Amino acid sequence: MLVAVAAAALAFAVGRFSTFGSSGPLAPANDSAEAGFARDMQVHHAQAVEMAMELYRKTDDDELRALSYDIATGQSAQRGEMFDWLVQWGLPQAGGLPMAWMSGADDGHGHGGGASAEPMTDAEMREAMGMATDDELAQLRVAEGLDADCLFTELMIRHHEGAIPMVDAVLELGSEPRVLAVAASMKVAQTAEIDAMTSVQARLGCAG
Amino acid sequence: MTPTSPRPTGKRTSGNPAKQAEINLTVKQQREQKRQEKLAEYQRQLARRRRGKVVGWAVGVVGVVAIVAAIVASFVFAPPPPASYTAGGEGIEIEGVETFANETNHVEGTVDYEQTPPAGGPHNAVWLNCGIYTEPQPNEHAVHSLEHGAVWVTYDADAVSDDELNALKRKLPSSYVILSPYEGLDTPIALSAWNAQLKVDSADDERIEQFFEEYWRNQNAPEPNAACTGALDGPGKAS
Repeated sequence: MLVAVAAAALAFAVGRFSTFGSSGPLAPANDSAEAGFARDMQVHHAQAVEMAMELYRKTDDDELRALSYDIATGQSAQRGEMFDWLVQWGLPQAGGLPMAWMSGADDGHGHGGGASAEPMTDAEMREAMGMATDDELAQLRVAEGLDADCLFTELMIRHHEGAIPMVDAVLELGSEPRVLAVAASMKVAQTAEIDAMTSVQARLGCAG
Repeated sequence: MTPTSPRPTGKRTSGNPAKQAEINLTVKQQREQKRQEKLAEYQRQLARRRRGKVVGWAVGVVGVVAIVAAIVASFVFAPPPPASYTAGGEGIEIEGVETFANETNHVEGTVDYEQTPPAGGPHNAVWLNCGIYTEPQPNEHAVHSLEHGAVWVTYDADAVSDDELNALKRKLPSSYVILSPYEGLDTPIALSAWNAQLKVDSADDERIEQFFEEYWRNQNAPEPNAACTGALDGPGKAS
């Protein structure tokens, strides 16, 4: 009798232990919008950091120097958080076709490797994300003075605009609260930066 | 000197009266005397040992007391640990904290802010470097630092004593914080984070720690973890 009670008590305890760690929602899967967003937005942010560091090095414009410092350090920090999401979820940092995760969104514009669409080339994918081409990056590296300032704002405005569809897609398809919160604040912050760069262009008298 | 005469078969003699007296004693008396001497020696040793014991105890007690005192002192006189807070908020509600919904965008020139001191809103492209300032700081730059997750601690220099200011400094985290006097403050001390503010009367108020725990480097700032260095050093930067 005592043995039976002891066995039952132990079984109860084991049962309780077995529930540890299994509470809470499941981490996003490898093919989730959250994982796709975390990967593609890291690539996207990396180029913003590259361009901002390039301009920070050589611009004579105080506002652009501050802005490029802000973009380089702020987006590096955000990349770090997105890197850590994938680490925490136990997912690889690269995987799947870029932007394929967006194909289910209304605002997907038929991008990505959807079932019927042909996979995009790397260049097409970069273009869809508003990223600068290799040629444009090379131009930014050799440009000086006002030319560099104007080219930077042009490339960075397009770059920021390219992030908006990705943000909208993850807001529509995703459910992980922190991802949604970061995506929403990215949209607000990058929209504000687009406005700031547009006014810099006007102040500098950049063509177009 | 004459050669010593052969010892007589009886008792030996000595020129030394004391020695002679000893010689004169009987064997029994000599044994008794030795016994007395041994006894005396034993009692001397006993006394010495007793003294040693007392000294030992005294030294031991003093030593233990000293060690205990040293341990107590190491706690009593230990410098207070540096303030430490967890980055990121838990969504905790703190009595007296007001929250707002400010816009975030870059502007030039001065801004008419909704709150005093401002807790968010349009700001200059250049943020204020975090640190301790002895002079008032420009709103438009400090607000940009709030956007990056910093807490701006402002005080009325006329209402806060040096002691109280030091007490306040001891509560500050080592980074992502700005401390500066503020003119026209309606409270002795105000803590501002992006879209959140707490006004208190005293540096002893325990809600100061709670505010840091919740709002310092809060993940819901528009650009959490962006830099609070590398931009503008305002006037009167002490550290």
